[in-house]
Amino acid sequence: MTPSPETDFGALFAPRAVAVVGASSGTGGIANTFLRNLRPGGYDGRIYPVHPSAPTIEGFPAVRSLADLPEQVDYAYVAVSAAQTPSLFQGAAGKVRFVQVISSGFAESGEQALQDRLVAAVHEAGARLIGPNCLGLHAPRARLSFVDGVAFASEGVGVLSQSGGLGVDILRRGQTRGVRFTGLVTLGNCADLATSDLLAWYLADPATRVIGLYLEDAWDARRLFDMLRAAKGTKPVVLLKGGRTADGQRASASHTAALAQDDRLWLAFARQTGTVLVETLDAFLDALLLFQCAAPRATPTRRVVLFGNGGGTSVLAADAFSRAGFTVPRFAAATLARLEALALPPGSSVQNPVDTPAGTLRQEDGRIARRIFDAFALEPEIGAVVMHLNMTVILSYANPRILPNLFEAAMAARGDGADASHFVLVLRSDGEAAIEAQKQRYREQAVAASIPVYNELVEAAQALRGLATYEAYVRRRR
Amino acid sequence: MTAPNSKEACAILAAARAEGRDALNETEAKRVLGAFGIAVPQGRLLSPAPPPGFAAGLSPPFVLKIVSRDILHKTEAGGVRLGLADEAAAAAALAEMGARISALGHRVDGWLLEEMAPAGVEMVIGGIRDGRFGPVVMAGFGGILIELLQDIAFAICPVDALDADDMLVSLRGRAMLDGWRGAPPAAIGALRDVLLRVGGKGGLLETLQADIAELDINPLIVSPAGAVAADARILLGARG
Repeated sequence: MTPSPETDFGALFAPRAVAVVGASSGTGGIANTFLRNLRPGGYDGRIYPVHPSAPTIEGFPAVRSLADLPEQVDYAYVAVSAAQTPSLFQGAAGKVRFVQVISSGFAESGEQALQDRLVAAVHEAGARLIGPNCLGLHAPRARLSFVDGVAFASEGVGVLSQSGGLGVDILRRGQTRGVRFTGLVTLGNCADLATSDLLAWYLADPATRVIGLYLEDAWDARRLFDMLRAAKGTKPVVLLKGGRTADGQRASASHTAALAQDDRLWLAFARQTGTVLVETLDAFLDALLLFQCAAPRATPTRRVVLFGNGGGTSVLAADAFSRAGFTVPRFAAATLARLEALALPPGSSVQNPVDTPAGTLRQEDGRIARRIFDAFALEPEIGAVVMHLNMTVILSYANPRILPNLFEAAMAARGDGADASHFVLVLRSDGEAAIEAQKQRYREQAVAASIPVYNELVEAAQALRGLATYEAYVRRRR
Repeated sequence: MTAPNSKEACAILAAARAEGRDALNETEAKRVLGAFGIAVPQGRLLSPAPPPGFAAGLSPPFVLKIVSRDILHKTEAGGVRLGLADEAAAAAALAEMGARISALGHRVDGWLLEEMAPAGVEMVIGGIRDGRFGPVVMAGFGGILIELLQDIAFAICPVDALDADDMLVSLRGRAMLDGWRGAPPAAIGALRDVLLRVGGKGGLLETLQADIAELDINPLIVSPAGAVAADARILLGARG
C-alpha cells in the first residue's frame, strides 16, 4: 500500500487543486483561516471549499460534498468533528489523492474504532490519509501553507513532525534562525501514512538536502531504522524524539530487559544510522541550520579555531568546545609567527583561542580580520573556525562598515574542497531590543551567504558536534 | 564463524515450550549458546546427591551451582561456589549449600559442576525482543554490579562489525579491556565475536527471535585467551 515516493507524494507537495472541508460561511475556525490565507500566500491552484449548503465560503464557490468535486483534488484539508469524518468520503471514489484530517478525537482519545473507520473510508475512496490529529502542511512548491508568513524555499530542509503545534514552532522559530524549508508535514496519529512513507520521499527529493524529524510514538520505528540504515547517511537527518524518558518499565527477569530503556534504544538508533539525535527544539533548529549552510567535510571535524572579542568568553568557549569533544589546538610555530607579525594592538592574544578585543577588530574598519584569517589558514587540519562577536561592543563604535567587513573576511577565508574548514558565526548580544534588531539583520545576511549564526558558543559547539558525528558516520559507512 | 546449529537450538526451545516452561535452565541456555559457536565451560549436570567420582574427566578448579526451579538469582541465594580445588572440595561445598538451601525451603533439583573459566574481565552480552525494533542486543560490563554501573550499550539487530566496535568503544570502562594497571589485555576480538554471534546477521537473536524474549550472558568472562559464557539465562516469550 506504500506509494512509490517519486510519483505520488509529488502531488502532495505541489497540489494543483485542493479541497477544504470544515470552513463555515461565517468567520469560522482554522479551516477558514487556512482557506483565507491560500491566495495571499501565493497559492494559484484551484480551490474548492466543501459545504453542504453555503454557496460560497470565503469568496470561493463551494461544492456540497467531496463526491461533487468537478475534478480530482491532490489535497483535501479536513477540519470537522471527528465523528463526521468517515462519512465525508461516501461516493467520493477517485476524487481525492491525499486527505489530511486535522480533527482530533481519534486514537489519541481512545477512539481507535472511529480512527479505523476513517482509514477504511479514505482507502475506499482510493485516497491516502495524513493524520488525524495534526495541523497541516507546508508545501513551498505550491506556495501553500497552514502557517502564514513562512517563506517558501526552493532548497533546504524537509521536516516531518508528529506534533502539529511543534510543527508551527519549527517553521516560525526556524525561519527566524534562517532555516529554509522545502516542506513540513504534521503527521499526528499516523493512522495511515507514517513518518517512514514521507521520509522515503524526502530522501529521494533533490531539493531537500537535510531532513528533520520530530517523533513521539513511532510505530514504524523499525522501518525508519531500515530505511536510514540503507541510506548510509545520503542526507543528514536530525531527530528530536519526544518521550525518550517515558517510564516504560518492562516486566522482566533479565538484566538486559531491565536496562533496555527507550532512551538507550534511540541512542542506538542514532548511532547505527548516523542520525543526529537532539534533545530540545532549539538544538534541533541549530543542527538543521548548520547542515543547511555547511557542506560536510570528508575528514570529520575535530580541531577548532576560536576567534573573537572577549577574554572570558574565549576561555568559556574553549571549555564548551572541549566538552563537546573538539580540540582547540595550540597553533604551530609558523602560524604563531605569522599572527605575531601582524603586530596586533596590546590586549590581543594570538594563541588559540584567539582573543581580539573590539579595539583590534575595528582596525581598518574590520578588514584586519582578513589578515588574521589568512595567518591561520595554513594551520593544518582545522575543521572549523568559529568567530564570536559581542554585538553590543562592536555596534557601540557606530561604524557601519566593521561588521560587513568582518563577514566578508570570514567568507573569503572559507576556502573550498572536500576538507574546507567550516565557518560558524556567533553573534552575542545583551538582549536589548535595538541590538537584537540589528543582530537579526546581520543574521539574515550571514545565513543568506551560507554562514550559520548562533546566539552563544555553547549552541555552536553542540551543532558542530552533530555535524562532526554525521561526518564520521559517512566516512566509516560509505 | 562456524555456521550456527540452529536446529539443535530450536529443539531445546521447543522441548521447554512443550513442558510449559517460560525459561530455559542454565544448562539448556548454554547448549543454545554452544549451538551458535559461543564458548561455554565444560561441565555436567549432577543429581542432588551425586555418587563419588562425579568430577571425573573435568579439570579443576571447579564451579558448583545450585539447580533449583525455586531460585532465580543463584548468587544472591548463596547457591554458587567458585574456585573449588578438587572433587573433595566440591563435595564439601555441595553438602554445605544443599543443607542451607533445603533449610530455606527451596527444592534442590541438582547441581551444575563446571570447569572454572580463566580469570578475566566480567562482561555481559544480552538481548531482548523489542516491540518496535525487533531483536536488540546489549554489550557492556557485567557481573553482579551490572545494574549499579550501567556501563552498557545497545544496538538494534542485526549489528555489523562497525556497530560492534562502536558499542565497545562507547563503554566508559573500556580501558579495563586493554589491560588496566598491569593486567594483560583481554581478548577483545573474542568479545566482539560473541557480540556478533548473538546480535549479528544470522546470529542467535535474529534466528531465534520468534522464541527468545530475553537473554543474559552474564558474566561473559573475557580473559587474554578468549571469552567464555560463565552464566546464561534465556526467557521465552509469547511466540513472536
